[in-house]
Amino acid sequence: MFIGLLVVLLLVSAFLAILVGTLGPIGPGDPERISFSDALDAILGLKSDHPAYYSSVFWDVRIPRVLLAGLVGASLACAGTAMQAIFRNSMADPFIIGVSSGAAVGAASAGLIGLTVVVGAFTAPMLAFACALVTVFVVYKMGTVRGKVYVDTLLLSGVAIAAFLGAVVSFLIYFAREDYHQLIPWLLGSLAVAKWSYVWILVVPVALGSFLISLYGRELNALLLGEETAHNLGADPEFLKKVMLATAALVTAGAVAFTGIIGFVGLIVPHMMRILVGADHRVLVPAATLFGASFLIWADALSRTLIPAQELPVGIITALCGGPFFLYLLRKNRTGGMMS
Amino acid sequence: MRLSVSNLSFSFGDSKVLRDISFDVANGEFLGLMGPNGSGKTTLLRCLTRYLPDGAHAILVDMKPLHTFTDREVARTFAVVPQSSSTDFPFTVKDIVMMGRIPHVHSRLATSRKGDAEAVSDAMSASGCAHLEDRPFSELSGGERQRVIIARALAQEPKVLLLDEPTVYLDISGQLEMMDLITKLNKEKSLTVVAVLHDINLAARYCDRIALLNQGRLEAIGPPENVLNSETILGVYGVDVAVRRDPFTHNVFVMPRSTCAPARKDGVRVHILCGGGSGGPAMRSLVENGFSISVGVLNVLDSDHECATDLRVRIVAEVPFAQISDDMHAENLRCIDETPLVVVTPFPVGPGNFKNLEAAMYALNAGKKVFIMAGGSTSGIDFVGGKADAYLSNLIASGAVKVDSVDHMLQLLAHEGAVKR
Repeated sequence: MFIGLLVVLLLVSAFLAILVGTLGPIGPGDPERISFSDALDAILGLKSDHPAYYSSVFWDVRIPRVLLAGLVGASLACAGTAMQAIFRNSMADPFIIGVSSGAAVGAASAGLIGLTVVVGAFTAPMLAFACALVTVFVVYKMGTVRGKVYVDTLLLSGVAIAAFLGAVVSFLIYFAREDYHQLIPWLLGSLAVAKWSYVWILVVPVALGSFLISLYGRELNALLLGEETAHNLGADPEFLKKVMLATAALVTAGAVAFTGIIGFVGLIVPHMMRILVGADHRVLVPAATLFGASFLIWADALSRTLIPAQELPVGIITALCGGPFFLYLLRKNRTGGMMS
Repeated sequence: MRLSVSNLSFSFGDSKVLRDISFDVANGEFLGLMGPNGSGKTTLLRCLTRYLPDGAHAILVDMKPLHTFTDREVARTFAVVPQSSSTDFPFTVKDIVMMGRIPHVHSRLATSRKGDAEAVSDAMSASGCAHLEDRPFSELSGGERQRVIIARALAQEPKVLLLDEPTVYLDISGQLEMMDLITKLNKEKSLTVVAVLHDINLAARYCDRIALLNQGRLEAIGPPENVLNSETILGVYGVDVAVRRDPFTHNVFVMPRSTCAPARKDGVRVHILCGGGSGGPAMRSLVENGFSISVGVLNVLDSDHECATDLRVRIVAEVPFAQISDDMHAENLRCIDETPLVVVTPFPVGPGNFKNLEAAMYALNAGKKVFIMAGGSTSGIDFVGGKADAYLSNLIASGAVKVDSVDHMLQLLAHEGAVKR
């Protein structure tokens, strides 16, 4: 039932977000305010007495952007839920095994060395995706001894490799000098690059990935009581960790490759949903996936309207909301009676 | 269901943790696994659950080797209750118990079936946690959590319930409740139970048989009264215990002896006139202070007799419930002849043991130092109509020294320089 509500919320959010912006019935005060019915007409292509670019603004810019926001939000929240279960740590996020730092190296080398010009428009996303997966693989190998995944070691290797790659990115930025501003939107996370092609590339992996993760809800529940308990309940913890890590990494790397590092969605959405629906992953995973989509759609709508005629990278919005929330959780875990 | 383990050995790298273990568990049996820390109990349980898969070929369940089972089949055979369970995530009690259905799920796509909900609610009623259903697991007390984990184990519908020190973090009432619950499940559902237990007395009280592990070997297996004797326990745990029987149930129970060193043979001699449980503290203090003691006259089965037996000291003993015979009285006096010091503890005096007071008078007359330990009022221990009180007063008047305690007596002796300590 709650899942049904979240589906409705997502549809309504997506629809409203399409109307939000410089051109549309909702948005900051500016020259191109049009009525609700005009906007609907433009979207549905009913009347043609409005300028032709109206339809193009909605169909070529706004709609793919909202859809991309939904897909990226869904994949980050779903992957975050899985990572928190694998690491049995509510402070884990989808980037904890090095996806974002790896992708940043890829994006930085593509953008700053100038490969984009040579190979084409997809170079940066492809390179970011590839570097993210290589990084995850290295972190995974570091945390694995004779086929057994040790999550504590994995966590520490993730942190160490992220610090190392952060230095590599800083190095690249330092030598790129004035070119570095091209990289800023990517590093802060931005949906301004949205295109239909990105949507088509992401839709199938994100849908399959979140579906796969939600199929293992029961086993993720068991894993949260410890690997030995999971084993005793008939859930193979090694298999589970590998499948979940691989799926979460692929889905996250795909999202990050296009839009850059959008922080905090994968951390706070699972938390919010856990407060609302409880910890049962059979419900929690779909709930977080759906709400993650809505959440990033709102954050993106806010980033387009907060400052008139200007656009903030969406990562700034999510971090502005997420930072204080993270601190709140930290305090609550310290002082609250969660552990007795 | 029949579980048999034959020649199970297990090593972590070079260190052998289990060596050549063989035993059978019958259907419906309650087997206790005991042994010192590091003796391999938990490793043995982990071999049974195949969490450590290397030993699986040595384990047969209904004649079928364990390594041929799927993970889910193993989870339908063995359910585990660990020492304690905790999680930071807000699972409800029902969520936790529902996890027990994982080995029974037929399709990933199907949400929980009716059978699952029934099994979960039956399991919660059987373990007495149905009223906690919607409570957050992390907010429960230790005892409540263990009930929930037992419900989860029951929801697995296992053939064998494995418990790894399930009472270790519980208070005494929690321990008994937990063991009673496990016994109830064992008897009513004829669920086979294999439990690692640390508390020897709890194990002796509840288990049908006990398997005692020591350094990875199976030292002994059998009914508690056969396995739990003081020699075996001294050999395995290195602790000297006295083995007694519970007067109500006749279950054996053990208690560590209060003093480890046997009484010295070459110390200053003291003879103690005692009985009725009054002599134990004096015996212990004197032995610990290096005296060589003898006691008398005691009836066999008197608790002072048991104390003296535990200390392995010389006892002048009379048969149970008999008057002190002339022979034993004479023997008692011979002991007094050999000692410079005699201690009279506040023992209950009746017609049967009045001779022990007369022995004190004999000692005084023979020039021995006699100490009379005060027991507060003597009225509670005089069963001969005031004769004992009068006799004690007479003893003191004749030169016996009244002392409050053994320490007091030792101080007086030291002061006089009579005893080198």
